[in-house]
Amino acid sequence: MSLTFLVPLFLLGAAGIIVPIVAHLTRRQRRNVVHFPSLMFLEKIPYQEQRRRRVQHWFLLGLRALALALLALAFARPFLDDSEVGLAASGGPREVVVLIDQSYSMEVGNHLEQAREQATQVFDGLGPLDRASVVAFSQGARVLARSTSDRNSLRGALDTLEVSSGATSFGPALKVAQTILEESTLSSGEVYLLSDFQRIGWIGDEGVRLPVGSTFIPVPLGEDDVEENLLVTDVLLPRQTVSGRERVTPTARVVRRGGSSPREVSVALDIDGQEIQQQSVTLAPDAATAIVFQPFTVSRSHTRGTVRLPSDDLNADNEHHFVVSPGAALTVLIVEGANAEPNASLFLRRALEISSDGRFRVNVRRATTIRPVDLAGTHAVFLNDVQIDGGSAERVRAFVEAGGGVLVALGEAAGWPASAADLLPGTIGPVQDRLQGRGGRLGFLQYAHPIFEVFAGPRSGDFTGARFFRARAFQPSDSAEVLARFDDGSVAMAEQRFGQGKVLVWTNTLDDFWNDLIRQPVYLPFVHRLTEYLGGRTEALPWFTIGQIVDLASPEALLTAGLVSSEAAGLTEGLDQVALTPSGTTIPLPAGEGHRYLPLEEHGFYTVRPPGSEPERPFIMAVNVELEESNLARMDAEELGAQLMAPAGTEARSLNIDAAASLQREDQERRQSLWRWLLIAALALFVAETAISNWVSRKGAGARVAVPG
Amino acid sequence: MASPLTRTSTSGTQFLDPAVLGRIGNLQLLAKTVVDGFLTGLHRSPYLGFSIDFAEHRPYMPGDDIRRIDWRLFARTDRHYIKLFEADTNANFAVLLDVSASMSYGSHTLTKLDYARYLAACLTFFSSKQRDRVGLVTFDHEIVDYVPPSMKHLDTILHKLDKAEAGRPGALSGPLLQITELLRRKGILVIISDFYEDPETILAAVGPLRARGHDVIVFHVMDPHELEFPFEEASGFEDLETHEQIPVIPAKLRDEYRLVVANHLETLKTKMTGNRIDYTLLDTSKPLDLALFQYLLARERMSKVR
Repeated sequence: MSLTFLVPLFLLGAAGIIVPIVAHLTRRQRRNVVHFPSLMFLEKIPYQEQRRRRVQHWFLLGLRALALALLALAFARPFLDDSEVGLAASGGPREVVVLIDQSYSMEVGNHLEQAREQATQVFDGLGPLDRASVVAFSQGARVLARSTSDRNSLRGALDTLEVSSGATSFGPALKVAQTILEESTLSSGEVYLLSDFQRIGWIGDEGVRLPVGSTFIPVPLGEDDVEENLLVTDVLLPRQTVSGRERVTPTARVVRRGGSSPREVSVALDIDGQEIQQQSVTLAPDAATAIVFQPFTVSRSHTRGTVRLPSDDLNADNEHHFVVSPGAALTVLIVEGANAEPNASLFLRRALEISSDGRFRVNVRRATTIRPVDLAGTHAVFLNDVQIDGGSAERVRAFVEAGGGVLVALGEAAGWPASAADLLPGTIGPVQDRLQGRGGRLGFLQYAHPIFEVFAGPRSGDFTGARFFRARAFQPSDSAEVLARFDDGSVAMAEQRFGQGKVLVWTNTLDDFWNDLIRQPVYLPFVHRLTEYLGGRTEALPWFTIGQIVDLASPEALLTAGLVSSEAAGLTEGLDQVALTPSGTTIPLPAGEGHRYLPLEEHGFYTVRPPGSEPERPFIMAVNVELEESNLARMDAEELGAQLMAPAGTEARSLNIDAAASLQREDQERRQSLWRWLLIAALALFVAETAISNWVSRKGAGARVAVPG
Repeated sequence: MASPLTRTSTSGTQFLDPAVLGRIGNLQLLAKTVVDGFLTGLHRSPYLGFSIDFAEHRPYMPGDDIRRIDWRLFARTDRHYIKLFEADTNANFAVLLDVSASMSYGSHTLTKLDYARYLAACLTFFSSKQRDRVGLVTFDHEIVDYVPPSMKHLDTILHKLDKAEAGRPGALSGPLLQITELLRRKGILVIISDFYEDPETILAAVGPLRARGHDVIVFHVMDPHELEFPFEEASGFEDLETHEQIPVIPAKLRDEYRLVVANHLETLKTKMTGNRIDYTLLDTSKPLDLALFQYLLARERMSKVR
């Protein structure tokens, strides 16, 4: 350890010490000239300057010189350099972080085993004062052992390593390494990254910066490229209702990456664990094909399905799991006036009936009263240009409060009892003609709303072609949400939430009397979306992807997850549940308020059921791997290292040891900050010198005054 | 009766303040103002009538010289009358004004030369009113201007005084020797200078004039800063005539300077007086009255002698 200077050039400033001395000895009187008539008398007075040439206060001069020297020293930024110790990799204690990739691509070529061996070698090379951490990562990072010098616990951590179902992401693991190194008190740090270095694992802007002076050592595993990889990328599950039975026709998309010659591939379909079909397809290298299986009948809820490919180097993407349940048809009640045209609801009825999977069951009632029996088992009600009585309105109110959906279509005859005015999202006004020009159009649609969101994209349905020649004026209330407006700003559709249900008002007719919307291509999907929204139907997801989290306390999430099993209904009631992972691990989901999150970390089927019970059809969720991980293209490990270190102005130490040493010197100087103390000392000396010199001056002046004459 | 030397007339003194006079551009007006004011301020006129031409009688006033009582008239009228005479026009009066560079020094509004010019103008004007022949010689190390004494030269003298400028180094002996040759007729010579030379040299220069029979009146003009040396800051002091510079710390030299100057003045005064030369030290910050009184005293003494 030696005293070194970061900016030794400033030491030249120490030459400033001679300034006060020279100034003291050579300073002349100020050259302001006084013109005087004659120097005759002045020249007669003997006068010498010798007194100035003698230093009188050596102590003060010493103080000034010392203060200047300290100032120069402070600017030279001195520090005690222990870089020789720190830089000797084998000589000082190191903080070693071993990051091990456990994404599912690591199963290729036994990469994980190679990683274990490499990590063991790293641990064997640790010095007695070195500490090491083991971090396993895929999409997230998990610290298996943190900053320990205990070899056994490190090796034990290695033994727990398994290939996960996650995809590779270097960012979280490197951030953990950064944190460990930053919190470490040891003089140097090393980060070993043991991975197959898939390009998809690094997006390049993760914000990870390893501490200055630390070393990044990439250890690429399995240098040989995988010859070929088969994977199922997608499975479509279109439904058909045939003879009252729901049939699903699975269509799998199979991709072959790599390979050298066409190959026959056998694709199997398992339903509820049983292989029911197998098809063979010939796949050329780097080709894809769609395989359509024979339809199968979905008769039971939570039916598990798997499309399987034969084994290859990467098996996780060879299976694609899904769960299907019989779709529940929505029962729709269309109420039209007793004196309405015979075909008043013809288009609406036809639109609801045009559905291959039989999603809607339509009942029509021609009366101004709605009986309780009409609403029993009904999901959605269309009040098509009808004036219902007060009693019916109260029954509709109860229906909506319980979660039902009502659409009030306002035509010529439409009205609403005043007793239930609060149920409507506004006030119904008179009929307004829009006969000028080519009629009115829809000028505003709230595309964020579930009814219209499918039409938001380009070429997803155009409402602007529809013309509206007449409409009922409607004044929305404060609690109403306007979903659509005509081009003159008047309301076309408004919604109001009421209880658990909703009431929508359509200020036009649902036939072709006031508008030509029924002739537009968007009419059918619009009516379907409208009805599904009113009926509260949500599309169930046939599968999830690794990394997603499901809140089992949220009814919407459960509907999205396809929960239809009555046996698993306890979930919505907040009872105790357990989740069984594909690997057989049990995750308790205790009852209680708040969220019940279930992270989906394994591919396969998650089963959720009450603890200790074996329901016949438990709630099942299918989970598939992230297919990006199947892309085994590698990135340059050195490039990754450069990105981790580059912003700090240096490369990895192994590449540029001088730069690292320089940075370490700056770091040492910054940490020691001796210059602050020197500066304080210099200032103190200056203050002392000023005080003493003032005192000396006063004393001298007093002495002169005291001398008479 | 107050002595003229100790007169401190309020109105007169105020009016004769050199700084105030400095604002009067016209020398003649200045001289007239000074002299008239000066005369008006006197309670008596003892200095009229030094000549032999009868002018008028006036009643005797206590304090008048009893030798000048007209006894014949007393015999006739039994009253005392004084005989007044017209002024003597035969006396020569000349001002010898030093215009060397050192005279251009002034620590306040007036330089020594300004003060000297006012003094010269006043004395000349006064003398002219006394019917003297007035003349002027300006000199530095040689004679710069020479106006021979004459009854009619008042305007010329005032004009010359107005134009007088200090600029060249001075030396007394050369020009004064020349003047000795020029002014052959006895008269009153007023030398106005700052006398920056050794007392011996000064006396050697002035002595011949006295030896010629002139009544020599010396006015030594000094600036208050020359006398007191009140400078504080260490500075380079430059000689106005030689332009030589020396570094000076006034605080350290002040006392010694004052001593040297005092010695010089004392020596000068002693030597002048010893040679029957009227010597007066004038501080430029002081009124001109002092100089006028000095002059009149000299005139009175001369008249007594005569």
